[in-house]
Amino acid sequence: VKKFAVSEGKHAKFRCFVTGKPKPEIIWKKDGAPLEAGRRHLLFEDREGYYTLKVMYCKHQDTGLYVCAASNALGHTLSSVYLTVKAPAVRFR
Amino acid sequence: EVEGAPGAPLDVKCQDANKDYVIVTWKQPAVDGGSSILGYFVDRQTQEQISLMYPHTAINSSCIFLTNRPNSVCEVGTTHWSQCNDTPIKFARFPVTGLVEGRSYTFRVRAVNKSGMSRPSRVSEVVAAMDPADRARMRGTSAPWTGQIIVTEEEPAEGVVPGKPKELEVTEATKNYVVLSWKPPGERGHEGIMYYVEKCVSGTDSWQRVNTEIPVKSPRFALFDLAEGKAYSFRVRCCNSAGVGEPSEATEATTVGDKLDIPSAPGR
Repeated sequence: VKKFAVSEGKHAKFRCFVTGKPKPEIIWKKDGAPLEAGRRHLLFEDREGYYTLKVMYCKHQDTGLYVCAASNALGHTLSSVYLTVKAPAVRFR
Repeated sequence: EVEGAPGAPLDVKCQDANKDYVIVTWKQPAVDGGSSILGYFVDRQTQEQISLMYPHTAINSSCIFLTNRPNSVCEVGTTHWSQCNDTPIKFARFPVTGLVEGRSYTFRVRAVNKSGMSRPSRVSEVVAAMDPADRARMRGTSAPWTGQIIVTEEEPAEGVVPGKPKELEVTEATKNYVVLSWKPPGERGHEGIMYYVEKCVSGTDSWQRVNTEIPVKSPRFALFDLAEGKAYSFRVRCCNSAGVGEPSEATEATTVGDKLDIPSAPGR
């Protein structure tokens, strides 16, 4: 699984291109649990047609395995990525 | 191009495609080359399912997936043509057997007379070896495919710098200190606002920040280190994590002394 890291307090944007006919249903999951859209989780299709998950103001507990699962009548597949939220860089005092 | 050979057969079609056979039909060539056609050869080509690195490729609508193999996109492969019949067929119709279920095929036909072989016909449409009911159900469909997830870090949107404080006034003045008070601005951004106080000796245009170190949180401030007999104007700026805002309107000049004439704030 590919790994990515973001700094605490920043947003993490996940983009996944999906094909399939009929148009697949997309579910984003974190550590196996489906993610609902909410104040810190934006779910949308961007202008280029990528399915996008945005985790706002990342916290340490946002670290984990993120999965984009697509399914239609012919089958299902998924892509996954591991996100690590790093402690923020120490500010110059 | 053999001299005296017939023209290419026309209008090659696939009929009754099923799990392991397809009936291929065609029309005889427009020209026979001067001697009668002895028969036809049917060739088939298997459509390859090739993996593509990138999904942004138009998917052939005649393509059918039986297996959910991510990344697979049907394309006309570069496989060579194989001849389906060893001896020439008399009639313009031939059941091709021995197909692999789920694979897609295209066909072409060549005519032969005593002078030789024609050029091959145009290629038929792609046909999948599968049950007709399945084909009808799955026409133009494909299993889902998901590309690699790309993660990017984004800066949270820059905060809004607060506006100007309002209704700044000198509420107390003695020779030892001056007290200022004001109201917060209308647009505050998302977070708490703090303030910087500036002073200016009347007649000059040089503003100095009084609380250089720490901005104050309350909308009032006492200044102590003022020179007696001098006149000062004051103004206040708001700040938050996004930055420092524009200064408020300056107060009227206030002379530091025991007898103070405190001007009424504007708008009262």
